[in-house]
Amino acid sequence: MGRIEELTEEVVRLFKNSGYEVDRRDVYNRLKLLIEEFKVPEDEAMRTVKNYLMKELDVSREQLIMESPLVKVADIKAPGQWVSLKAKVVQLWDSSSPNVSQVGLIGDETGIIKFVIWAKANKPQVEEGKCYLFANVVTDSFGGRMQVNVNRNSRIEEIDEDIQLPPKELEIVGALIAIQQNSGLIKRCKLCNRVLTKGVCPIHGQTESYDDLRVKGVIDDGENYYEVILNEENVRDLTGIGLEEAKEIAMENLDRTAVLSELKNRLLGRYYRLRGMRGQRYLLVSEIEFLKADVRKEGEEILGG
Amino acid sequence: MIAMDGRSFKREIARRVFAFELNKATHKIESGDRAVQVLLPTGVSCNRVFIVGVLLDREETRPDSDFWKVRISDPTGVFRGFVGRFQPDALESLLKIEPPEIVAVVAKIRLFEGDTTTVVTIRPEVIIPVEREVRDYWVIETAKHTLERINRMRKGGNELVELAWQVYEPDLDYYEEKVKEAVRTLLDQHAMVESETEARESEEPEEVSEEEEKAKAEESEVESWEGEEELEGVEDIESVEREEDWELEDIDEFEFEEEEWDLRDILGE
Repeated sequence: MGRIEELTEEVVRLFKNSGYEVDRRDVYNRLKLLIEEFKVPEDEAMRTVKNYLMKELDVSREQLIMESPLVKVADIKAPGQWVSLKAKVVQLWDSSSPNVSQVGLIGDETGIIKFVIWAKANKPQVEEGKCYLFANVVTDSFGGRMQVNVNRNSRIEEIDEDIQLPPKELEIVGALIAIQQNSGLIKRCKLCNRVLTKGVCPIHGQTESYDDLRVKGVIDDGENYYEVILNEENVRDLTGIGLEEAKEIAMENLDRTAVLSELKNRLLGRYYRLRGMRGQRYLLVSEIEFLKADVRKEGEEILGG
Repeated sequence: MIAMDGRSFKREIARRVFAFELNKATHKIESGDRAVQVLLPTGVSCNRVFIVGVLLDREETRPDSDFWKVRISDPTGVFRGFVGRFQPDALESLLKIEPPEIVAVVAKIRLFEGDTTTVVTIRPEVIIPVEREVRDYWVIETAKHTLERINRMRKGGNELVELAWQVYEPDLDYYEEKVKEAVRTLLDQHAMVESETEARESEEPEEVSEEEEKAKAEESEVESWEGEEELEGVEDIESVEREEDWELEDIDEFEFEEEEWDLRDILGE
């Protein structure tokens, strides 16, 4: 295939992806004229032909889907880029906003990233565990983390590939060496579930809130560290302090931070065995327990070795 | 470091190191973008440690200074350190602890270079009473990590390992023996506690072992710490510390920088 044919194909495919049939011969002739006769640079010739066709078909630039480069999750580092991804739907979350059709996590072998399908995008629903080509999605940064947004110009195609996720589950033995701020008995915004700081939601300002219990901390095994979040269930399993108990502690002491002190006393400096999945920043803990080690056996192994 | 992908600030790993080794460290590694590191004699850099040992005593350096000297013992020796108001969490919990008591400590390392000796001290960020099982496992874990480092030293090849050979010329057999001795001490205590528990089921073995531990630590104290006087001599240790702490405080804040994101969903609530 000659260069002109290649470019012709590209133009035809571009319009076809957006649902428009164009006359291949017409495109070919126009490109040939511009490039061979008039010696117009290729990219200018392409732009000219595309513009002509858009005008002819009355298609706006937004409607015309430019196929974006195929990337891996780990490559996504800057907001505002148009990319395509082959990824597996890891998890779907409940969306509280009417503007959002679906929200959750997708991943490939290089990482996991949050995705949002806008209601306006008018796309078919994706399902957990299935793999899709997410073509022409836009990268975005939200709260310091990258995500991808699916809009009207994106295309979601189920694909017949089983995409591997990064080493699915990790098992770690390590010590909890830090508990970070916004742990303990916290308040969350009723509208968006975000944690309130001094009673104020970063998005909704002063809103109605509800109580929750969690621990954000750092597990360190002497070689690596992992930022973890323990939810109410994890915390209750470990300490016997659930949300209700936490509220009682807060009430008795007339101080919500009393819960955090108590959790620090019970959890910091101990060893844990935990399993979880790697998120972008946090290890998403599925199971955690205090380490029960056979010190005698391990000690004898050391002495024998 | 998976957790830190794309982030410029890396949290410092908390190394597992016995007192006898840490107290031999004298060499600082300074490089532009990282907090000051101490080179351990077994060839890794170290800025933070995780220790589980017995808090032997706490002593205010001057009345009402809120600056406390602490000594924490493991089976191989004693860690010395200071807790001041720049570590409010550690200070608060320290004041509630009646030594002797088994504590878990997360601490930054400081080197004081005096005229004749260099002294290693620790700066606890966290100090919290823990159960004896935690201490037992710490000894095992620290033994494993130290033996691994010793093996890497024997193999050679990496830059820090070479540097450690140059600076310390460590007698690795001696190191290995110290580590194993620590494990042996632990297993002996363990056996003793177990048989005692069997003998007098209802009574608490803990106190006995703590007392013993203290006695043992005091004994090892006889080896004495050459740097002590030197350290006392550093008149304005507090003000030196203060300056350094501001810097570190900033870094820590950065490390802990919070970007709230709704994670409830991920956590499957």
